[in-house]
Amino acid sequence: MLGVILNPYHLQIVSFILINIILGISIYITLSSGQLSLGNAGFMGIGAYTSALLTINFDLPIFLGIILGAVVAGVFGILIGIPALRLSGVYLAIATLGFGEVIRVIFVNWESITQGSIGLSGIPHMGRELFKTFSLTGFDPDMLGLKNNQFIYLLVVLTLLLVNILLIWFFIRQNKSRVGRAFAAIKMDEKAAESMGINITYYKVLSFTQGAILAGFAGALYAHVMAYISPADFAYHRAVDILIFSIFGGSELIWGAIFGATFMTILPEALRFISDYRYMIYGVVLIAMMAFRPQGIIDVSLLNWFKKKLKLKRGGSLGIRTKKYN
Amino acid sequence: MLLEQIINGITLGSIYAIVALGFTLVFGVLGIINMAHGEIFMIGAFIGVLITSVFGLPLWIAFLAAIGVTAILGYMLERIALRPLRGKQGVSHLAPLISTIGVSILLENLSHHIFGAGNHPFRHSFAQIQFQVGSITIYLVQILIFAISITLMVVLSYWLSKTKAGKALRATAENLETASLLGVNTKRTITTTVILASALGGIAGILVGMAFNSVNPQMGLSMGLKGLAIIILGGMGNVKGAMAGGLLLGLTETMIVAYGDSGYRDAIAFITIIFILLLRPQGIFGKNTAEAGR
Amino acid sequence: MRNSLKKVYLLISVLMVVMLAACGEDNTNTSNASENSGGPVSAKIGVISYMTGPGAAYGEAITNGFNLALDEINEKGDVKIELVIEDSAGKQDQAMTVAQKLMSSDDIVALLGPTLSTEMNVVGPEADINGIPIMGTSTTAAGIPQIGEYVFRNSIPESLAIPAALEKAVNKYGVKKVAILYGNDDLFTQSGFDTMKAEAEKMGLEIVTIETFQKGQSDYNAQLTKIKDLQPDLILASALYNEGAVIMDQARKMGIDLPFVGGNGFNSPQVIEIAGEASDGLIVATPWFGEKDDPKVQEFVKKYESAYGHKPDQFAAQAYDALYIMAEGLKNAGEADRDALRDALAEIKDLDGILGKFSFDEDGDVIMEPTVLIIKDGAFQQFE
Repeated sequence: MLGVILNPYHLQIVSFILINIILGISIYITLSSGQLSLGNAGFMGIGAYTSALLTINFDLPIFLGIILGAVVAGVFGILIGIPALRLSGVYLAIATLGFGEVIRVIFVNWESITQGSIGLSGIPHMGRELFKTFSLTGFDPDMLGLKNNQFIYLLVVLTLLLVNILLIWFFIRQNKSRVGRAFAAIKMDEKAAESMGINITYYKVLSFTQGAILAGFAGALYAHVMAYISPADFAYHRAVDILIFSIFGGSELIWGAIFGATFMTILPEALRFISDYRYMIYGVVLIAMMAFRPQGIIDVSLLNWFKKKLKLKRGGSLGIRTKKYN
Repeated sequence: MLLEQIINGITLGSIYAIVALGFTLVFGVLGIINMAHGEIFMIGAFIGVLITSVFGLPLWIAFLAAIGVTAILGYMLERIALRPLRGKQGVSHLAPLISTIGVSILLENLSHHIFGAGNHPFRHSFAQIQFQVGSITIYLVQILIFAISITLMVVLSYWLSKTKAGKALRATAENLETASLLGVNTKRTITTTVILASALGGIAGILVGMAFNSVNPQMGLSMGLKGLAIIILGGMGNVKGAMAGGLLLGLTETMIVAYGDSGYRDAIAFITIIFILLLRPQGIFGKNTAEAGR
Repeated sequence: MRNSLKKVYLLISVLMVVMLAACGEDNTNTSNASENSGGPVSAKIGVISYMTGPGAAYGEAITNGFNLALDEINEKGDVKIELVIEDSAGKQDQAMTVAQKLMSSDDIVALLGPTLSTEMNVVGPEADINGIPIMGTSTTAAGIPQIGEYVFRNSIPESLAIPAALEKAVNKYGVKKVAILYGNDDLFTQSGFDTMKAEAEKMGLEIVTIETFQKGQSDYNAQLTKIKDLQPDLILASALYNEGAVIMDQARKMGIDLPFVGGNGFNSPQVIEIAGEASDGLIVATPWFGEKDDPKVQEFVKKYESAYGHKPDQFAAQAYDALYIMAEGLKNAGEADRDALRDALAEIKDLDGILGKFSFDEDGDVIMEPTVLIIKDGAFQQFE
């Protein structure tokens, strides 16, 4: 039964969706304090290369590699984030765009370590390694009626799903905390926030670094799901992809980034004839969204509307607990 | 060899400068970084190829057509991607940047579909005229490119500082509402600026096609990013700064190839962006104002 | 709060399921004509090809080659083949998804493609683990057949083509000093460069300089001026034809009259189209020479031209031969079974194709003698 439902092809797409959701959140979180970073493809690359190189060359366990990948990306985030405080809006976007390209050029040229554009192959695959561990305990996927590769991808998807749930839970909590309110205040009006005693430096660097860590984390996961990375994976177009997730889905809410990443990953798969026009559609989406719905598909009022509908159905039994979702 | 490399550098730098002039005009008036400028430049180059190679028409028609088409593109860019955002409540200052990124992706992929991914040769007898000075070959196109870039810079500076339209433009740049109170038709001024900037991109496109005999859909992105680096280097909205920055970048890139590692050639522009922005946001030639970089 | 959270989850998961269902529908039709004893072996083969995006021309040539061979093979009737063609858009992740899609369908016995070596680096290991034979028809980078025992290719690698061309050029022109120019942000040209450098060192040539360029660049004057000043006897250029043609054009304009030796990616009639006279003097080694005095070759060229309106290039020719190799493998295996097919493929020796006599070595790589060509007076000619 399970074996019929779980098609590795679908599992593969779901795993890409889950990784893209993390990327979408990474740009959402920097945007939530009013900063636009176009360098997330670069941070993603740093995470991916760090983890891949550590696991290949030093036989580090994958989960440690992924964590270190995220940490290194975070360190770069701080290094860029602090001087970038002097920049706002458009200038920050341009500087981070430059940063992303510099990172890519370094990956291409630092051949002794990164193998240049040949890319790194033979990166330990997350699912296959997990599978090995499971096999040691005497577990056989046949018991569930699954084939080996079905089971491998199921493991990948489950791991990513767990990671996603934890991350989303964490950021929803954060949004409702002091930190989230500080981000929102800074996004609204930096000077007003400052005069209210919010430490702008701290919170801006914090949100920038969180974005970098998440992008690095997603990059590291990507490396261990694809088992092969090359500098071309982290070029300007990737930065645009990530931007689309948040802009299309909605940049005010975490659900926007999640919806955007999900929708924009499935769309070219579901409608294969569209994949030819994929980037053209992206372009039109960006222009149209800015002109008609700059806050993205999912915004606070849409969410409230949903909530109201649900509440009506339940006869308002939920009471007043659902308020302020930001 | 040094002399030849300097000529290469100046040619490249002059093209960069023309591209950057378009960037700097739009930024100076609207405070917007027009990410689609590189793609408009690329379309200009393709129009040049079409007119001369496919239809076999003379070069001056190609110039006129490229200027015409890119001017129309500029008008459409303003109408579709910029005007709807202006003065709208609750639109962040990042919106125009994102919207022009949208235009740039759209144009790049559109020309992929129309013209194919390949390189199109720009074959024209004018591009073959050359002089022999000692062991160095100089092409007339190279001289022309340099002359055009200098002329454009001088004309633009004069136009901005001395003519009425130029003054209106600067007033709009200073403060949109005040300018409109003082009787400047700001809407028209803005549209004129974007059209003018796009036409400059079109001119640059044809010149690149002639100088390097290579036109492809990807050229817009790399040229656009270089132009961006130059206006940051030369100071946003600074016409002379754009010219100086363009020449500087062209020469530096050439010298890196000549005496260093050609693999890092493209990185120079981006490293420049990062360092200038972080250390001296007003650019090398910019005035030191409190608002610079903010 | 927790409830509304759940709602959004529900919404998203419903959406996901609906869309996933939409993309999975087409491969559920089970084949009716699988392995029946007595009659000819019939089998489905999956094709992963680069059909949309900047490199769509490669994918088009390749699928044309397949389709031409398919009609002939099915007409002959030794085996019955059905092709299931999927597009990868030249991207690793998309190649991987379509590969999963094809592999998860049990009646597909083998894969042909993907087009790019980068894609093969991702798809190859996965196919190997799942035990499905996969054969690249255009993947020329080093190390591909070594991925695993289920991975094959019939395209000649750079490590075969470049030394052949270089050796002939060196002997003919008495070359002592070479300059190397390559695109360092592309797997194809980077891997070609690695071979060039190793081969030049092995032959004891002096490498005066190594220069790089990047995609989308239009100005190569700085690199070429430097090369001109160092006065090499030959330029080794690992470039795709698009950039390569422009490089030759700018070099000739500058007064560099040296011969160029290029890799697989440089070998295309397009070079002549883009660079015109400037392309004279380009030396490449190729398994495919359309003017060859061989009735088989001429028949293929004629057929291809009447079907698609232009002359076939090496990608079409390699694809055409690849399907014949698959057909031979299936015939020898006697049944449509993935493992049996793999073993049969590995055994193939001296199969006569339009590219010449073909065999696999123990890794699944090609054993073949390439032809060296030079562009002279605006046409490819045999280089002696």
